[in-house]
Amino acid sequence: MSVASELIRGNTETIILAQLMKGDGYGYMVNKAILNLTGGRFELKEATLYTAFRRLEDAGCIVSYWGDETTGARRRYYSITDLGKESYRLRKKEWETAEAVIDKLLAVGEEGVSK
Amino acid sequence: MNEKLRRYIDDLFANAPSTVRAVELKEELFQNLTDKYNDLIAEGKSEEAAYNIAIASIGDVDSLISGLSGTKSAEGMASKKRSAIITAIAIALYILCPVPVIWLQHEGGVVLLFIFVAVATALLIYNGVTRERYVKADDTMVEEFREWKQNGKQKNKAVDAIVGSFWLIAVCVYIVVSFMTGAWHITWIIFLIAAAVSSMIRGLFMLKQ
Repeated sequence: MSVASELIRGNTETIILAQLMKGDGYGYMVNKAILNLTGGRFELKEATLYTAFRRLEDAGCIVSYWGDETTGARRRYYSITDLGKESYRLRKKEWETAEAVIDKLLAVGEEGVSK
Repeated sequence: MNEKLRRYIDDLFANAPSTVRAVELKEELFQNLTDKYNDLIAEGKSEEAAYNIAIASIGDVDSLISGLSGTKSAEGMASKKRSAIITAIAIALYILCPVPVIWLQHEGGVVLLFIFVAVATALLIYNGVTRERYVKADDTMVEEFREWKQNGKQKNKAVDAIVGSFWLIAVCVYIVVSFMTGAWHITWIIFLIAAAVSSMIRGLFMLKQ
């Protein structure tokens, strides 16, 4: 994991919700999309992924169902609910606020150097 | 190589509670790892490398599994509540069983009394037999001991339920027969018979084990 994992861990659920906003998906599909989006720099551990899925499911943000694959084993798909969409928008806004605040707070150091 | 993955996951879930949720999670994890493994092979990785990468990507699954036993104890709470309700209804039936006798003042009342007692006894036995087994929360010896003790108790519980309800029935029979015949000087024999029968019930169960 080459990206600062502490920072990302706090946003695991938001990242998953964002993936499901595009449409239903199963565990590996979501993780692969994340890997591709980050150019192979970041990938969720399976355990982290499922913990987040369970938590989101318990909170009513997503629902799951077993797919009916004709070949191979069945996959468990996840689908975002209206509550989940609402939660995604809220969490995204929270992140943007935090990002702006941290940017401002950290920029102080740079100004110090340039003086 | 698929069997190797399957075996690894089986080991991983060896201590997981046997709930639907755990089985589903295991299946899901296996399916996703297989997908990942096949992808890695398609990328040109060797079987050994693909297996190792797939296994390494699992991460700390212990917290997930302990989360599963958390839901298990929630189910435990529900079953405890259900068991309390059943017991309460059964006891209410025992207490109310003489009412039809007093009310109706003829044989119909006695029949109703026995129906009350029969239903209450059935409820208690059902409750004793279906009570959930203790599932150990972790691997410590204390937990193992608890599980073992609980399972021992479980067997006795059914017998206790049967014998306990049997004594209540004996008391009911004694009171009803005494009131109806007025032969109080002799009806106490019912208790002697009851004692003999309850010993026989216990003996029969012990033989069965």
